[in-house]
Amino acid sequence: MAITSETLDQLQGEPRWLQDVRRKALEAYDRLPPPSKTDEEWRRTDVSRFDPSQFSKLEHRNGQKLVLPSALPRGVILKPLRQAAEEHPELVEPRLFSLVHADRDRFAALHAAFFTGGTFLYVPDGVEIDTPVIGQHFSHEGGTSVLPHTLIVAGTGSRFNYLDEYIAEDDTETGYRTGSTEIFLGDGAQVGYVAVQKWGRNVWHFADQRAELQKDSTLRLFNVTLGGKFSKNRVEASLAGEGANAELKAIYFASGEQFFDFHTLQDHRVGNTRSDLLFKGALSDSARTVYAGLIRIEKHAARSDAYQANRNLVLSDKARATSIPMLEIDNNDVRCTHGATVGPVDPEHLFYLRSRGIPEATAKRMLIQGFFGDVLDRIPFEHARRLVEAELEARIG
Amino acid sequence: MATAPKIDVGGDYKEKYGFFVPEDYVFKAKRGLNPEIVKEISWMKGEPEWMTKMRLRSLEIFRKKPMPTWGADLSVIDFENIFYYLKASDKQSKSWEELPPDIKATYDRLGVPEAERKFLAGVSAQYESEVVYHSLQEKLSQQGVIFTDTDSALRDHPELFKEYFGTVIPPADNKFSALNTAVWSGGSFIYVPKGVKVDIPLQAYFRINAENMGQFERTLIICDEGSFVHYIEGCTAPIYTTDSLHSAVVEIIVKKNARCRYTTIQNWSTNVFNLVTKRAMAYADATMEWVDGNLGSQITMKYPSVYLMEPGAKGDVLSVAFAGKGQHQDAGGKMIHVAPNTTSTITSKSISKAGGRTSYRGHIKIYPGANNCKSFVKCDALLLDDESRSDTYPYNDVDAENVTLGHEATVSKVSDEQLFYLMSRGIPRAEAETMIVNGFIEPFTKELPLEYAVELNRLIQLEMEGSVG
Repeated sequence: MAITSETLDQLQGEPRWLQDVRRKALEAYDRLPPPSKTDEEWRRTDVSRFDPSQFSKLEHRNGQKLVLPSALPRGVILKPLRQAAEEHPELVEPRLFSLVHADRDRFAALHAAFFTGGTFLYVPDGVEIDTPVIGQHFSHEGGTSVLPHTLIVAGTGSRFNYLDEYIAEDDTETGYRTGSTEIFLGDGAQVGYVAVQKWGRNVWHFADQRAELQKDSTLRLFNVTLGGKFSKNRVEASLAGEGANAELKAIYFASGEQFFDFHTLQDHRVGNTRSDLLFKGALSDSARTVYAGLIRIEKHAARSDAYQANRNLVLSDKARATSIPMLEIDNNDVRCTHGATVGPVDPEHLFYLRSRGIPEATAKRMLIQGFFGDVLDRIPFEHARRLVEAELEARIG
Repeated sequence: MATAPKIDVGGDYKEKYGFFVPEDYVFKAKRGLNPEIVKEISWMKGEPEWMTKMRLRSLEIFRKKPMPTWGADLSVIDFENIFYYLKASDKQSKSWEELPPDIKATYDRLGVPEAERKFLAGVSAQYESEVVYHSLQEKLSQQGVIFTDTDSALRDHPELFKEYFGTVIPPADNKFSALNTAVWSGGSFIYVPKGVKVDIPLQAYFRINAENMGQFERTLIICDEGSFVHYIEGCTAPIYTTDSLHSAVVEIIVKKNARCRYTTIQNWSTNVFNLVTKRAMAYADATMEWVDGNLGSQITMKYPSVYLMEPGAKGDVLSVAFAGKGQHQDAGGKMIHVAPNTTSTITSKSISKAGGRTSYRGHIKIYPGANNCKSFVKCDALLLDDESRSDTYPYNDVDAENVTLGHEATVSKVSDEQLFYLMSRGIPRAEAETMIVNGFIEPFTKELPLEYAVELNRLIQLEMEGSVG
């Protein structure tokens, strides 16, 4: 988009505080330097050809399709984010971009300045929703920017599931896409969150998903990345209350010339917290992926338990996976394990199946399905599981 | 051992190990670093012109390169307040009896000649910047093995020296390799001819013994085709009040079918900055093994690496780090797969205690075309109390086909179950903890020659005595 304050005029009629947020984010965008090749986070990720001014039209300014459960319990607020900003400023203003900081880098700033669609979900204390809430974010044309932002507030003891689907109507369109999410989990809240990114294969996608977990809350997050020629995704959990438990799982399937970048953070800020991360991806053709994850156990976070694994199945000679699992441990009373693997389909497994008369192509497909199988079981709710399985099936072929 | 039960060496180190001897130097260059001092060092050594030029060029590179912005905090190093060259005696000693008495006293306490009498092939002990004591068993000479200090090698084997010096680690590789190339002094030079297997380990002791004394030894090892050598480098240093800088460069060439093992026990006193570049080139079907233990120093930054240059080459790093109070061990390994069908493993074990910090930092790089490579990295960290810290930073870049890469790491404390088991059998807590820690680093100790393994176990015991909470 033309990166000027005039572009902001496309987003008229917003409350004053939100206009200020956007203006500050735009200033941050102007101020922040573009990523440098010497910056560890961007060393393997090339954004030099990303030019947001090509995509100056902002799409779906008025929210997106929300698939509402037939009857929402009393007190639940579910609205397009811009509408919520106007109607519930006391709930939205203190939280919006407080987890996903607008001045973190140029891309976070750009997203904060121009976010369009997106959902606000507020579930009051003690409320449970049985059917999943679904936000579908469509892109209708190429050359545009589609920048949804999801803000979820889970009250004390609440329980629900939420699905964000990022859908392209045309698989070949170009454009600038984001899909960031902030999740606040109150004491004892239980939230299942699934994001399925299936934008077109020619778009630039940037997303920051970050959750903050209070005492005894549980987050089960599942990230699916399939679309985009370039996708950069940060998945972060900040464990702020004792007994908090974050499960961060993801699958990705990169083919053609797709490039996916994942940066994850398991930030154990207090003790007796638990995090479990598993990112599994398959790569074919000349796709490339970068995974870099950090477990940070802060000084007083005793009796924390953290696990982190990244597994890459490299299906072609030209595909490249980079995996960098990192630990920073400042307390000794912890259990912390991580692992990473990059490798082709195990030739022995393939041989076993072929020796039983299964053709090579089928055997390979079975092994890929098997590779994803254990993590698919961790998708927090049935609707999302079926959706992801179908998407994956279509791609494994 | 540079560290005492309380890692603060300033306290009782002197009584315990007390290697301190009065300074008595034949030549001591002025503090600081400039072309005149570099020229003076080169002139003192009577070096050929090409070496003087190389030193001066390296000094320029050192001046231009920025300090590393990652790893440990190095901002406290004052390069102008360091002696870059000392020569403790002006002539090489051929036998133990000829050594100056104060140097002898120091080595006696280290047990060098004792060890030699027993089974060592040769001793090349470095007191200050130059090797003063050197002996080589006759058998090795007959085999054509050259084992000498690096200064003598430049004099006595100029062609061999010039062919390899600076080829594995060029001066411009990093700021500290440039510094070392500018002011290097001493170190070991080993040449093992084709097909010769040196069946006893070669070893040298390195010492620092002058306040604010930088030690910049330079080691060059060439294993010709089908040969084998095991070199052992051990360090210990007396007490000082101000910081010392140790910045060595070790270059190794392992030719076709040859095997080289390089064992280090780094145990500088805890005011030393230890910034070392170690690299080997391994050719077809050659094996390079780094066995690297870091116990002493205030800050160590050291990542032994292997460039796997031709198919069939194999690289191995086994690293142990122990960080106590005020220490930061930033250690690890690098494996650079240049050729296809090469394999590498890195095993790292680290222990942090009393506020110490250990960081594993590693890099696996697999270049385009280096297909069918395998690499595996395993890091285990033990945190002995809640003040200490452990980090793991493994960087992996794979640009080739059909590569299998694995990384695993764990961080934990001494497990309550293991402690309970041992204590329920009547073993006191402190002893049980020491046993567990010794067990933790056993994959490392079992690779060491016996006297080192015994020494290491004793050191760990000293570190652990009554100190694990």
